[in-house]
Amino acid sequence: MGLTRKYWKGIEELKETPEFIKHKEQEFPSQQTIEQFLADENLAETSTARRDFLKFLGFSVAAATLAACEAPVTKAVPYVVKPENVTPGMPTWYASTYYDGNSYASILVKTREGRPIFIKGNHEYGFTKGGTNPQIVASVLGLYDRERLTGPKANKKDVSWSSVDKEISSAIKSAKKVTLLSNTVISPSMKRAIAEMTTALNGEGGSKFEFVQYDAVSYSAIREANLKNFGAEIIPGYDFSKAKTIVSLDADFLSSWLLPTEFAVQYGQTRNPEGNMSKHFQFESVMTVTGSNADYRGMAKPSELAGILAFLINGLGGNAGIPVAVPASSKLAAEEALKSLKKTGKDSLVVCGSNNVGLQILTNKLNDRLKSYGNTIDLTNTIELFYGNDKKVQKFVKDVVSGKGPDVLLMLGVNPVYTLPNGDDFGKALSKITTVSFASHEDETASLCKYICPDHHALEAWNDYQAKKGQYAIAQPTIRPLHDTASALESLLVWGGKAKRGGKDSAVAYDYIASTFKLNAPTGDFAFTTHNSCMDVTLAPATLIFTDATASNLPKASDLEVSLYQKAGIGTGLHANNPWLQELPDPITKVTWDNYITMNPVTMEKDGYVTTYDQEHGLNTATVTVNGKTVTLPVYPMPGQAIGTIGIALGYGRGANGEKIGKAAYQTKEYGGHDLGENGKPKTIGANVFSFASTVNGNYEYSNSAKIAKAEGVYPIAATQIHHTVMGRHSIVRETTLDIFANRDKEAYNPAHKLEKLNQEGHHEERPVSEFDLWDAHPVEKIGHRWGMTIDLSSCIGCGTCLVACQAENNVPVVGKDEVRRGREMHWLRIDRYFSTEEEAAVGTKKDKDNFSYDKAEHAAENPKVVHMPMLCHHCNHAPCETVCPVAATTHSNEGLNQMAYNRCIGTRYCANNCPYKVRRFNWFNYPSYKKFVEVNPAQDDLGRMVLNPDVTVRTRGVMEKCSLCVQRIQATKLVAKKEARVVADGEFATACSDACPTNAIIVGDWNDIKSNIRKSSEDKRAYQALEEVGVKPNIWYKVKVRNEDNNLLDKLQVAEAKVEHKKSHH
Amino acid sequence: MKISNIQFLKRYHVASWLVLFFAISMISFDASGQGEALFKSKCATCHQPLKNSTGPKLYQVRDKWASGGAKEGSIYTWVNNWQTAAASDPYAAEVSKWSPTAMSAFPDLKKEDIDAIFDWVDTQQEATNNTGGTAEEMTPGSKEGEEGEEEGSLSWIWIVMGVVFLVIILAVGGVRRQLKIVTSDESEGQDRLTYAEEFRAWAWKYRLYVGLATLVLVISTVVTLFQGLYRINVVEDYQPSQPIAFPHDRHAGVNGIDCKYCHNSVTKSKSAGIPSVNVCMNCHKQINGEGKPFAGEIKKIYEAAGWDVSSGAGKYTGKTKPIVWNKVHVLPDHVYFNHSQHVVVGGIDCKQCHGDMTKMNETVKVQPVEELNKIEGNIKLTKPTLTMGWCIECHGAKDVALGNGKNAYYDEIHRRLMNNDKTLYRKYLKDGKVTVSELGGWECAKCHY
Repeated sequence: MGLTRKYWKGIEELKETPEFIKHKEQEFPSQQTIEQFLADENLAETSTARRDFLKFLGFSVAAATLAACEAPVTKAVPYVVKPENVTPGMPTWYASTYYDGNSYASILVKTREGRPIFIKGNHEYGFTKGGTNPQIVASVLGLYDRERLTGPKANKKDVSWSSVDKEISSAIKSAKKVTLLSNTVISPSMKRAIAEMTTALNGEGGSKFEFVQYDAVSYSAIREANLKNFGAEIIPGYDFSKAKTIVSLDADFLSSWLLPTEFAVQYGQTRNPEGNMSKHFQFESVMTVTGSNADYRGMAKPSELAGILAFLINGLGGNAGIPVAVPASSKLAAEEALKSLKKTGKDSLVVCGSNNVGLQILTNKLNDRLKSYGNTIDLTNTIELFYGNDKKVQKFVKDVVSGKGPDVLLMLGVNPVYTLPNGDDFGKALSKITTVSFASHEDETASLCKYICPDHHALEAWNDYQAKKGQYAIAQPTIRPLHDTASALESLLVWGGKAKRGGKDSAVAYDYIASTFKLNAPTGDFAFTTHNSCMDVTLAPATLIFTDATASNLPKASDLEVSLYQKAGIGTGLHANNPWLQELPDPITKVTWDNYITMNPVTMEKDGYVTTYDQEHGLNTATVTVNGKTVTLPVYPMPGQAIGTIGIALGYGRGANGEKIGKAAYQTKEYGGHDLGENGKPKTIGANVFSFASTVNGNYEYSNSAKIAKAEGVYPIAATQIHHTVMGRHSIVRETTLDIFANRDKEAYNPAHKLEKLNQEGHHEERPVSEFDLWDAHPVEKIGHRWGMTIDLSSCIGCGTCLVACQAENNVPVVGKDEVRRGREMHWLRIDRYFSTEEEAAVGTKKDKDNFSYDKAEHAAENPKVVHMPMLCHHCNHAPCETVCPVAATTHSNEGLNQMAYNRCIGTRYCANNCPYKVRRFNWFNYPSYKKFVEVNPAQDDLGRMVLNPDVTVRTRGVMEKCSLCVQRIQATKLVAKKEARVVADGEFATACSDACPTNAIIVGDWNDIKSNIRKSSEDKRAYQALEEVGVKPNIWYKVKVRNEDNNLLDKLQVAEAKVEHKKSHH
Repeated sequence: MKISNIQFLKRYHVASWLVLFFAISMISFDASGQGEALFKSKCATCHQPLKNSTGPKLYQVRDKWASGGAKEGSIYTWVNNWQTAAASDPYAAEVSKWSPTAMSAFPDLKKEDIDAIFDWVDTQQEATNNTGGTAEEMTPGSKEGEEGEEEGSLSWIWIVMGVVFLVIILAVGGVRRQLKIVTSDESEGQDRLTYAEEFRAWAWKYRLYVGLATLVLVISTVVTLFQGLYRINVVEDYQPSQPIAFPHDRHAGVNGIDCKYCHNSVTKSKSAGIPSVNVCMNCHKQINGEGKPFAGEIKKIYEAAGWDVSSGAGKYTGKTKPIVWNKVHVLPDHVYFNHSQHVVVGGIDCKQCHGDMTKMNETVKVQPVEELNKIEGNIKLTKPTLTMGWCIECHGAKDVALGNGKNAYYDEIHRRLMNNDKTLYRKYLKDGKVTVSELGGWECAKCHY
């Protein structure tokens, strides 16, 4: 590799702009001598003279010494009656289930002294098989939200449950029409309670009571299409693990579409290049998490999806009934998809994320042609989520808005004022109705309601769920209700006269759920089901026959189409007040705390928008007009965004009228406090674009035609990664194709780094990096334990779940937008996202080595390939950070850990400077107490502090911190083994990130255990170490990303490279 | 400092308690030793000699059975297994109707043992009357208290004497100076040396000695200062007062209750755990200390547990009130210490760090290291207890048993040591043992994370 490289820190340095040269000279101002400095007359007039300074200094030392002398009396309050399953100092785990109307997963909840502090996926029970998403992991923080309602309210005043019950019961009794508007109810008990209420109120053939299910983001087109094709209004089960070809049209099934917790796990199983590797094709407008993982990605406008489907259907010998039209930007992907579909036949799966019935019918048609029904698509074990029927919802909304609505409206788990396209009109009409909300906050809808009867938090309540037909699941409380809230199920039963209020320790819901269980499963064991959190249900196979239907009312084309999508962290905005999720960098854009318009940089350059940004330079804003409504947002350069489309995320702009939905849901000022808008109310984060949804043939569709105009002003953006590409640095990211991986030896795709060395004859010779060393081996690297980690870039989907899990486990502080913008985010684990450039054959691989231009390589391709690379402390055995610490605060353990002693750290930051991976984080402030972080940091509040992990120190200002490889878990695992007098079993130790990973991309363990998974994984032919050439000998390995694509360029390049290497080593 | 004040006030209490226990243990020794021991280990959970509780009172129970018409010897069968007795004896069948709960079976108790128990129980009436003597026996305690005060006032005498001596020295010096002035021939006001000048002249004259003395003074001041700084927040001998005067020596010493019975999370968790009130109630439901001077302390437990004794055998009211103890051993938040690691894995006995609680007075205190060094089997340490120095000193000296087949975890560590080049193992074994620190017990992230 005899290549002379030039490196630079930014494009300015490369181009040597005048501004850069000026700043460069000022970096170390050395021109001024000390004499000049002291001669400065102004200096003498400064208010703090030297004597004063010494006085202050002396006083502070004395004060600090005196303060330290005091030994404060600490109290210890033991239980009066200790609960049987609580041992102070030991965690207790509960198997439970999470459902919030949008996400579902079987979970395990960790409690300490009765406080839930951590949520992870349940790997042993439940069809989600350990899969979670950032929102589920972060939901534990919501339990300790200060703004949660503490009791029932009537007309905005605190009231008692008995008075609320009396008033609501009589209102229901005297009403002519009662409607329950709820998100999809998947609880068998709730369904039973609603059914009982219907019978009680409606009697024989009455219509007094109506039950309307409404989902914030609707999937009703799938049910409607299946009604037309199969005669059953179902959402079938999908099995991505069986699919050898996956074609997804606008369906972000790894992060937001339908049931991502299940799909991500299944998808992970197909991404193993040693086994059966699926081929994944994605056609979409916005670059989604799923699209970034696709082997082939075609850019297509929402209106162009039908043409692509027609191309595939007709290509497989069918008749789509509509004209074939494949846009140029999807041509390659569509042709390859057709080839692959022909090859894999029934082992294929086509999914479509659009809520357009016509598109769903075409998708069904394609799946039927492939014969994937009964194989990758399960019509028996159907998905029971998202029962909202848009036509029914729209009729109901129309009735309410026109004043023909019910007399009493009960609203459970919905926030229609925020999520309806015409939410404002709906809100205005609520004043004429007796409204009851079960919301936990005084949100957009609840604040307009007459009564608020707050439901328990998910971790406080008993619940039962049936998210798929074949599985019955239980959610059990992990803490006694913190506030005077009541289970919504209990409230319904009480108002229906079926039960009496049970108070704080109510067993009403529990008894009812247990009796429902007995009704449905007379032979089942409820206690056992509760222990495991779920039970499988045997189903008779469905006999549904496909009948053709015509696809009509397909999305209409327009010059500019807007796509509304969900982000991994914020989703539909349910958790918008959760600072962990707001600070979670978006998997693709890496932007925190914000909403923006995504646009392809090619279009942006043409239209005069800036495409680069950093901590001082923001992005241009633009005004988007849809349906006569406008929002103004910054325009983010998003490579891979289909030309002629823009994307805006849903879920932002919560609390537009300053509703009390949580402090973290609003913009904050530089020194703390909410940033108030012109109306005197706190400014929202981003803008609400639910109103941009279109209505096609009675269904809500999340794309529309739009107009955009550049607006005045520049908007600061807080992103954790502002550079897009890795610029051909092969030693960071390695990527290859399945073809090369399967047919060539390791040198072709994962060559070892070599350096020149003088051999005994005095000739230069290239030897592997491992033979060069400045230091001796660390004494016990091969003896006790040596903890290590491998991260498989092939299966990492970049979802961000690990990041939130790390934050929860390690008490990582939230710092807010302003600090993130300054590059001071505190996340111990970050996920670097790299785009490919036109200069590369694959991410990190130079296409044309001789004419490779770094200048051009800075620019991401129009439709780039993407690599997600989790980056954390590498626990280098020859750690550069350790050698520069003046106080030995960071040292190496004989188990291979790079340890950080916070109390010893004096904050010189030499270590961060010397870290080649840039993973060390400095506490610039005392985040749990400084005023700047009141709004964003949950640890500022004594309730929010309850979520802290008591086994991990909360770091103070002025100390360095970084990933500890969850040393508290290592110690706990070892201790359990020692106490049981046995060796530590492989797989027993898991870090928070490896535990959270839905695709098992992260493997951890004891490297010195030669039979362990980690040892095998690290010795795999795909394993490499990032920046191996710097010789720091990390304990973290990456595994080469393998893409299942035919890339002739990469083939030629990597094989040629390997030949050169081979020749050189023979010299 | 605060601590010594508290201690000072306490000493009086401590003394009286000591005497009280002395008196009680004297009484105990009077009675039949075996009977008492058996009663306490087998019966005391449910029975009291003179009062009905969970089980009926046992005072003169043999006579009661005999006069009630029980069959000869059926009471012994009853103790061994009440169901057998109830089946064969109508009187026993009548007794078995006692509520709230049926009696456990004690098949291992022989007839002699049972008699010994009943003999001891029957002596209890007299014994209670005798406790009147406690008040008189308090007097020696007061003496002990006075001694303490004397010890305290001793330092005052030294201070007063020091001040007197200083005054005398100054007075003599002044007189000498006056005399010098008077006797000098020189005229008034001329060349009269000030005190400072005189001192300077004197110091110059003896400059070698003054210099040496100053050096010593400076060095010792610096050393003292640093030692003082190192002791900031070091709280050996810390003994805060507690809401309930809990006598460890009575529970762990006289009654021989295992530490782990009350501090039961010590083998499971990082914290040994302050027992919850329901653990206290296991015994104190029966032992209410009626008529004893410490009955008031036990009443505090009842208050906490919500135990109403006013009606018969007592019942829980449900109105509980947690006891707020003052923490004695306080580690900073950034230190992770795990009890179970030391007790279960390390096999360390409680007293090795906490001192011999069977002999300890009223409440717990942080044991000074000198006292811990007296404990049998302890490594002699020098650094103050509960400091990091104390921890690492022990970790540097304590050996870990490797490869003895007793703990597979350490066998595996041993195997890995042996499988690799053995220089390291040999280095470890230079002092004949592998210490905790050699296995990583001195590493930061073992206790700080």
